Amino acid sequence: MNVEARKKALKFLFAPLVDKLGYKFHPAEEDVDFLLDAEVSFEKQYGVPYCPCQARTKDRAENMKIVCPCIPFHREHYDAMKRCWCGLFVHKDVTDPSKLKQIPPDKFRKD
Amino acid sequence: MGETSYMYVEAAKTSDIAPGGMLGVKLNGLALTICNYEGKFYAVERTCGHAAAYLDRGTLTGYILTCPLHCAQFDITTGEALSGPVPEAPDSKYPDPGDPRLKTRGLKVYPVKVENGSILIEL
Repeated sequence: MNVEARKKALKFLFAPLVDKLGYKFHPAEEDVDFLLDAEVSFEKQYGVPYCPCQARTKDRAENMKIVCPCIPFHREHYDAMKRCWCGLFVHKDVTDPSKLKQIPPDKFRKD
Repeated sequence: MGETSYMYVEAAKTSDIAPGGMLGVKLNGLALTICNYEGKFYAVERTCGHAAAYLDRGTLTGYILTCPLHCAQFDITTGEALSGPVPEAPDSKYPDPGDPRLKTRGLKVYPVKVENGSILIEL
């Protein structure tokens, strides 16, 4: 299967989903391309476009929580960072994503 | 060598398929799925390139057709297979859709034109 066609399809499918969640694609085209490349590679290997930056476990139910776009499963955490874990998506109001910091899940505290 | 002749055959009325919709038809012994993508019509073969499910029973998201059986996806404008089947569910009693013997091939696409409210497909 054609990697570029699949990346284009994933962008097409993800954009309206994340839009409704208040997110958009990272403005740096190069970063988006790199991350989608990894997702397509996972999809080829496992049949599922997992997040390229989160470790899979042996628990299928847990793994389903990192299928891109995984924002709904980590909503409060990502909202606090204004980005998803790998940075493929950022909050719509973000203009300079380089200032956004990752907060490790164990350091993230809900108020 | 003999020439292959093609002809346009009326498959449906444009009013039969709303934008985002699909229709399964049989024309001259060929089973096809006609798709309406933003008012433009596309015709691809009706059965999935993975396990032969009827694609018109799947979903059309823009130009991407998702098979109802194992969720393989295709580009209706080119027929290209965009993704294979989803993985086997744990403890499934059904055969593994990702079995390497079941390769996902692209779909054949057919030229379409619209005339006087009719969708014509070249066969």
